Amino acid sequence: MNGTAKPMTGSDPILEIRDVDKAFGGVQALDRIGFALEKASITGLIGPNGAGKTTLFNVITGIFAPDAGDIRFAGQSIENLEVHQRVSLGIARTFQNVELFESMTAMENILVGLYTRTRAGMIQSMLRLPRTRQEEARARDQAMELLNFVGLRDYASRKSGDLPFGWQRMLEVARAMAAQPHLLLLDEPAAGLNISETGHLGELIKEIRKQGITILLVEHDMSLTMSISDQIVVLDQGRKIAEGTPRAVQENKAVMAAYLGKKANPTNN
Amino acid sequence: MQELLQYLFSGMTNGAVYAVIALGFSMLYSSTDLINFAHGEFVMLGALCMVSLTAGAGLALVPAFFVTVAAVAAAGMLFERLAIRPVRHPQPIVLIIITVGASIFLRGTGMLIWGKDAHSMPPFLDIAPIDIAGARLLAQSVWILVIVTALAAGLHLFYKKTLTGKAMTACAVNKKGAWIVGIPFKWMVLLAFGLSTGLGAVAGASIAPITMSSYDMGTILGLKGFCGAMLGGLGSLWGAILGGFLLGILEAMGVGFVSSGFKDATAFLLLLLVLYIRPQGILGTAEVKRF
Amino acid sequence: MDDKYLPAIYTGFALGIAFLGWRIDNAYYLQLLIFIGLNTLLALSLNMLMGYAGQISLGHAAFYGIGAYVTAILSTTYQVPPLLALPAAVGAAMVIAWIVGIPTLRLSGYYLGMGTLGFGMIVHIVLREWGSVTGGASGFVGIPPLEIGPVSFASSKSYFFLVWAVVLAVIILCRRIIDSRVGRALCAIHDGEKAAAAVGVNTRRLKLQVFVLSAGIAALAGFLYAHLVFFISPGSFGFMASIKIVTMVVIGGMASIWGALFGASLLTLLPEWLHAFSEFEMVVYGLILMVVMIFMPRGLTRGLMDIYERYRKTHDRQ
Repeated sequence: MNGTAKPMTGSDPILEIRDVDKAFGGVQALDRIGFALEKASITGLIGPNGAGKTTLFNVITGIFAPDAGDIRFAGQSIENLEVHQRVSLGIARTFQNVELFESMTAMENILVGLYTRTRAGMIQSMLRLPRTRQEEARARDQAMELLNFVGLRDYASRKSGDLPFGWQRMLEVARAMAAQPHLLLLDEPAAGLNISETGHLGELIKEIRKQGITILLVEHDMSLTMSISDQIVVLDQGRKIAEGTPRAVQENKAVMAAYLGKKANPTNN
Repeated sequence: MQELLQYLFSGMTNGAVYAVIALGFSMLYSSTDLINFAHGEFVMLGALCMVSLTAGAGLALVPAFFVTVAAVAAAGMLFERLAIRPVRHPQPIVLIIITVGASIFLRGTGMLIWGKDAHSMPPFLDIAPIDIAGARLLAQSVWILVIVTALAAGLHLFYKKTLTGKAMTACAVNKKGAWIVGIPFKWMVLLAFGLSTGLGAVAGASIAPITMSSYDMGTILGLKGFCGAMLGGLGSLWGAILGGFLLGILEAMGVGFVSSGFKDATAFLLLLLVLYIRPQGILGTAEVKRF
Repeated sequence: MDDKYLPAIYTGFALGIAFLGWRIDNAYYLQLLIFIGLNTLLALSLNMLMGYAGQISLGHAAFYGIGAYVTAILSTTYQVPPLLALPAAVGAAMVIAWIVGIPTLRLSGYYLGMGTLGFGMIVHIVLREWGSVTGGASGFVGIPPLEIGPVSFASSKSYFFLVWAVVLAVIILCRRIIDSRVGRALCAIHDGEKAAAAVGVNTRRLKLQVFVLSAGIAALAGFLYAHLVFFISPGSFGFMASIKIVTMVVIGGMASIWGALFGASLLTLLPEWLHAFSEFEMVVYGLILMVVMIFMPRGLTRGLMDIYERYRKTHDRQ
């Protein structure tokens, strides 16, 4: 029952996860996980600690290879692609414990985020021909726009490590956006944020979706997740125990059992 | 045949020394996750101390041996206390440079104390070489093999039977967990440094009679010990011994059948091969960070 | 960042070189300045790798040696004009760096340190033992002075200008790389390799590229060294030489181009100032490495700058 993605109606999904297995030693971190993300949708991936959410992120982005199963992005398998190649293809992410380039400024962080969308190599950089200069100027404009988008315009030249934590999260989102992704994976973006920052984040995520970007969100803040997601996928101990609209999932017995620790047979919806 | 046996003997002698040095690397790594680039310099200190205490100060062998090991271990602990513990950002690149700095510093100190000349001392027991099928086995070689066996058994017992040994293993497995159950972590690191550099001193003191000891002997010996440790599997006790012997024998065969000038290159080529092909070594299971 | 001032800084630098070259006639001082230039090249080369990309090399003198020996063998044994030997020397080092770098740069941390150390040792042993080609442990004699077309660089003064023109050019090129897409990606690898890959940086390829570039600069320094002293021996390219380069970077500061100049100057002048220095050379280097790294892991000049910045910040707040 918690197996292959159910057939999608309407447009083709942007990301399909098919029967993905991943074990570490004896621990089955992901057990035949399968679901699909529709274009320009927001999917909340929830589950208790250790459910396998971050592992799934790492499998999708290519940090771990799955033991079995397949990941298809925009209709093609990305199994053999390395981490950076998947970014070029349009999969960007943020990290649970913000991983900014701390010794670099906010602006430079975004510029690194633009890496896959710019071309100049080592030799072009040394020669600094007009084309390279133009590309650099364009990249800086784009970076400024992105900083503006997350409200950090005035802090462009601040060291990212010196920014307050909430701003660092926003900067990381902007850096991921710089890769011009089709799919954005956000790993607990609200962790450590206060209520007003969380509200702002929610608006930002909806704004990003409006640009046609699909979002997969791991988040413990239920009110945020439930309010912005179109679809919720629930993992528990490496298995998918439920999938559906926020309302359906909230009423699901298996989900309640997983969160409250009661035994129940996992059922779909 | 006789030739082969002769190479095997000399390879085993060197190999035993590499094994002891490898043990020092391995046990420090397994309890602190650190590789001490100055380890070879402690071997050098062991050898030169031994020479000075016996040939210079006229001390008897056994007390000289123990004084040497104790002194070098104390120096190792001092090094940990002064140069490793105060490090605020213990990233590998910082620790590499610090321990490389320590290695150069100790080498320079060795040169100031003992000068640039090589020193030698008589073997532990004045017995004629043993003749086996026409190949000569030095009495000192037998000594070294005895010492290695005793050390291996001792370390094995230390880790398996004593509380301190178990605590040290616990620190290696999970620092935070060890701290929570009340294991004095800092003291364990200090002890690991003492033991590791003490092992280096044992290696140095044992080879002092069969080699010329000088201030610059440490770097190469250290690298070879590291090569042995990697070969067997870094962090594994028996791996270090196996790797050390294997390196010694391969090297001796290389000298015998290829060329003596490139003797040292054997070890480094082997090291690179292990790093590239099987960084966990022959016996190692620990996952090596290769990203 | 301070892009606006760079042309002015470069012009000032060039004028400084011209002034020194014009004023100084003493052969000893010129020689000293030339060595500072060569060491600056070496420090710049390692700094690109270690300071910016965060990848340690404990065998960097190997590339210095390859550069020196390739030009020595070509221009002496085979009578190749130095101008043709130059691309061969630099190219050889870069090709070797590329071949060695593919497996080596997959390693990280201690293993990378040991791997590069082992590589340096092997090159040193080959230079020492391959007597028929390299002259063995006693060294290689009779390297011709540098002549490029009709211009001869036999005099100290002309060599001084040549070396420092090269230094300035390399500084400009390094600076340009640092302030570019590639340079930022290198710094990103330093700050966090995982995150760099996650934003799309091909970390493996970039590390390899910077390793090859760095080897090329070191070989260039080796080429200039060989045609300066006319006699080279393996001893100049061993473990201590590699450590000396690391020390220059550590003093000058990780990821600081002008720091490389400072580190190279200090380590070239120190032995000249302290006559008894040769005895204590190793002790002093060792102490420098340990003390700087314990208290200022980003290097001496960087560390001092950080302290100043922190002071200013607390001062501003009051």
